[in-house]
Amino acid sequence: MKRDAWSAVVLFALVALLPLSGEAYWLRLGTTVLMYGVLAMSWNFIGGMAGYPSFAVAAFFGLGAYTGAVAQKYGVAVGFAWASAGLTALLFAALLGLALLRLRGHYFAIASLVVAEVLRELVNSMTELTGGGMGLNLPIPTMSSVDAQARFFFYAMLLLAAATFAAMLLTRYSKLGFGLRCIQQNESAADMLGVDTTLYKVSAFALSGVFVGVAGAVYASWVYYIEPPDVFDVLFSVKAIVMVLLGGAGSMFGPLVGAAAFLSLEELVWRNYLEVHTGVLGLLIVALVLFLPKGLLSLSQRLGQRAKMP
Amino acid sequence: MTLLYFQILANGLVLGGLYACIASGFSLVWGVLNVINILHGSFIVLGAYLAYFAYLKAGIHPFLSVLIAIPAFFAIGYGLQRLMINRIIAAPVLLTLTLTFGLDLMLQNAMILAFTADFKKLVLDPPLGTVALGEVVMPVDRIAAMVLALALTAMLYLILSRSRIGRAIVAVRMDREAAALMGVNVPRIYAVTFGLGVMMAGASGPLLAMIFPISPLGGPAYLGKAFVICVLGGLGSVPGAMIGGLVLGVVESFGALWFGPEHAITLSFTLLILMLLARPQGLLGRKGYE
Amino acid sequence: MLKRTSLCAALVAGALAAGAVPAQDVIKIGAPLPITGPLSPEAKKQQRGYDLWAETANKAGGVKVGAKRMKVEIVYVDYQSNTPRAVQSAEKLITQDNVSFLFSPFGSGATKAASSVSEKYQIPTVAATASSSQVYDQGYKYLFGTFTPNDTLTDPLSDIVKRGSGGVKRVAILARNDLFPLAIAQEMEKSAKKRGLDVVYFEKYAIGTLDHASALSQIKAQSPHWIFATGYTNDLILLRKQMADQRIEAPVVTMIAAPAYQEWIDGTGKLSQNVTSAAWWHPAVRYKGQDLFGSTENYVRLFQAKYGALPDYVEASSSAAGAILQMAIEKSGSIDRGKVRDALAAMDAVTFWGPVKFGNTGQITSLEPPVFQIQNGKPVVIHPRAVKQGELQLGVGG
Repeated sequence: MKRDAWSAVVLFALVALLPLSGEAYWLRLGTTVLMYGVLAMSWNFIGGMAGYPSFAVAAFFGLGAYTGAVAQKYGVAVGFAWASAGLTALLFAALLGLALLRLRGHYFAIASLVVAEVLRELVNSMTELTGGGMGLNLPIPTMSSVDAQARFFFYAMLLLAAATFAAMLLTRYSKLGFGLRCIQQNESAADMLGVDTTLYKVSAFALSGVFVGVAGAVYASWVYYIEPPDVFDVLFSVKAIVMVLLGGAGSMFGPLVGAAAFLSLEELVWRNYLEVHTGVLGLLIVALVLFLPKGLLSLSQRLGQRAKMP
Repeated sequence: MTLLYFQILANGLVLGGLYACIASGFSLVWGVLNVINILHGSFIVLGAYLAYFAYLKAGIHPFLSVLIAIPAFFAIGYGLQRLMINRIIAAPVLLTLTLTFGLDLMLQNAMILAFTADFKKLVLDPPLGTVALGEVVMPVDRIAAMVLALALTAMLYLILSRSRIGRAIVAVRMDREAAALMGVNVPRIYAVTFGLGVMMAGASGPLLAMIFPISPLGGPAYLGKAFVICVLGGLGSVPGAMIGGLVLGVVESFGALWFGPEHAITLSFTLLILMLLARPQGLLGRKGYE
Repeated sequence: MLKRTSLCAALVAGALAAGAVPAQDVIKIGAPLPITGPLSPEAKKQQRGYDLWAETANKAGGVKVGAKRMKVEIVYVDYQSNTPRAVQSAEKLITQDNVSFLFSPFGSGATKAASSVSEKYQIPTVAATASSSQVYDQGYKYLFGTFTPNDTLTDPLSDIVKRGSGGVKRVAILARNDLFPLAIAQEMEKSAKKRGLDVVYFEKYAIGTLDHASALSQIKAQSPHWIFATGYTNDLILLRKQMADQRIEAPVVTMIAAPAYQEWIDGTGKLSQNVTSAAWWHPAVRYKGQDLFGSTENYVRLFQAKYGALPDYVEASSSAAGAILQMAIEKSGSIDRGKVRDALAAMDAVTFWGPVKFGNTGQITSLEPPVFQIQNGKPVVIHPRAVKQGELQLGVGG
């Protein structure tokens, strides 16, 4: 655990130096990578560690975005708005988890996918509160300069990512982490051995929601205009999963590596292959699943092993 | 007011038949192979495009296109399963979902390049018109789609219950290892089942082309309905898909009446979640097959 | 880890190469568009409009900036039909591509979102496809729109319908739950009530609705004289067809905004007969302008020569955005953002698009949007009187 923690400290410290480059573009890309890093790491709690294929990331993200946005609309300070978003997501995830985690496999996946759709339509219909289909404008941050604003959001996401990582690290090496691994291997056996499967699953699900909720709120403040189809987009869930698979599910650094790799690829593809970029992305996903199901990190392991052979 | 209720009911049943068309192949693949085929929606769209161009360029009526689509899409499905999906057939749920998702992105992009993203509509000339039962009016094209859905579903049901290969499919669905021990060529059965699923999707395309505007990005909308129907009706059960479709159609129809059209979609998804919580095997499914 | 570092290195190299300093004798205008994704057909229209303007301007030697002439270059960025990406694309165009001016992304929602960016950086921005007044209610000084507010469509429509069909009393409204379609439906409700009509039905349908039968059955049960539906092309094709499926007939059926597009007429076939609509421009209007196109007829001729089809109002609006920007630059004699912004605010001129005068919210106030009806597969203008091509025909369906 100590090794992972120190590596993480070094990594985050390096990333924190990014604003020195002075390039707004890098800052924006970095903020996006960190945000997706939070989504991917959060998914890791329920998907990677517990083995439940959750598509609820989009639901938590949208919920957090709207909670934070509505709070700000009524004059709540930014920090409190974000905190309230996290709290709402946490409670919602816990309650939802109690209801849905009885399901397994595909059924759980479908149910978690559908939650985002239901939330989206609910938000759409609450026009007085959320603006409904017309979207919601947030108060524009009043900061000294354009650069200061970009830096502010970058550091906000960085802190959030660090917090998520810390939570992931602590969980893994705790009783909860051990319990989740047991559940993933064989839930019925774990249950029989006295593991409180419901408590552990719901905890993992709640953890998968809280940071995503805050990320959603930060995102809303960052772009200052949100609409239901944008923040309840199923692609948030799908990309989080693909990123974790890309990096290596269940591992500590997998989600971050996956997020960085995926987004870099997406940027490169988008810039150069405009007309076919979704197709190329699809191709990458297919190649990933067929040839590299254990993710990028497993690739370096395999290379390392080859190097050792005489 | 009663007239309105009858009309809404008729709307729902006719819509339900359409939905059954969309979902039966999807349900079969999910139930037997335990694979969620995200491509299903896009295959429907592909079938629709082919019918559209066949009608536009060669005057081929969509009903005829259905017959053409049947062997064509069966071949596509069979090939796809054998080449790609079979490799990960034993992999966790997530990987198969992700694979078909990636393939779907590719198919959608290909269709956008080939057909452009504008909406196209197959307009029959002369139109099929409407038919009236007393004061209740129903469009002939939707009824035709419902009849064809019933026919295709019946055909599928007959294949599954009467033919040797059909019985092998059912056996594999019930217990894969036992079936293999009894001499069933499981990979081939998987390929055939997948082929049948894709065939149903492709064959529904021409029917839907008469009814809805077509776009390369329209797949996910159909897929969303298919999910709900499968859960309602029970996985792998073809009659279940029919019942599930009808139930969904009627629920959406009355839902729009009682809660407003903006909530009809939410209603169907809420129903899905409730169903999953109360009776995950669906109305006609059997417990233990999930 | 190795793979990741080498990837990063490649990215750095690429970015450095891309950040080359642009030439100084070109006016760069940023145009974020939904080139991919569900809105891509709209992006194509806007691109056609912008490109025609840029080409025409450059062929004449460029835009006059004081004593010299400068060519124009439009920098397109794809935001994948995703609104937050539209905002980021706008920011990227300003901070990295160093554009001097901006064209808004497509639609009211994205325009509103991106306008905060242009206001922040003080970049004059012309919006070619945003009509809802909610877009312009933030007190911004750098946003200008070529579409008049939604009530300028619904008020003349209501007048014409009331005048041309004495018995119209009951109105049914069905709107898509989206910024523009909902906003204009709400304006319609106001316009109808102001003229003493009864709004017997007003409902919204969710984005992505595949079946409107229930809503339509309820509308039918109310026996309305006037059915008003809003949505995008695919919604309105489906709605018109499902109206026929239920044998719904009414003296007047109005749909906004799809009947202006050929795709809708093609998609409904004979069902398009007598459906009315309104838009901010129509190729049949006749204006003699001070812009580079000179007159509406000339603009239509040039468009047809380049693209082989008549321009619709989105395409014309995009060309107009360029033409109007050009006029502001030439009037102020410079590409200084503050000066161009003031020239836009003070503009009072006639163009091929119509008279151009912006109100204090930045939205144009001087247009008189045409109302038209599809008769025998072709749009026929029935208002304003100056450019009328035909009369309102009653009876849709049946």
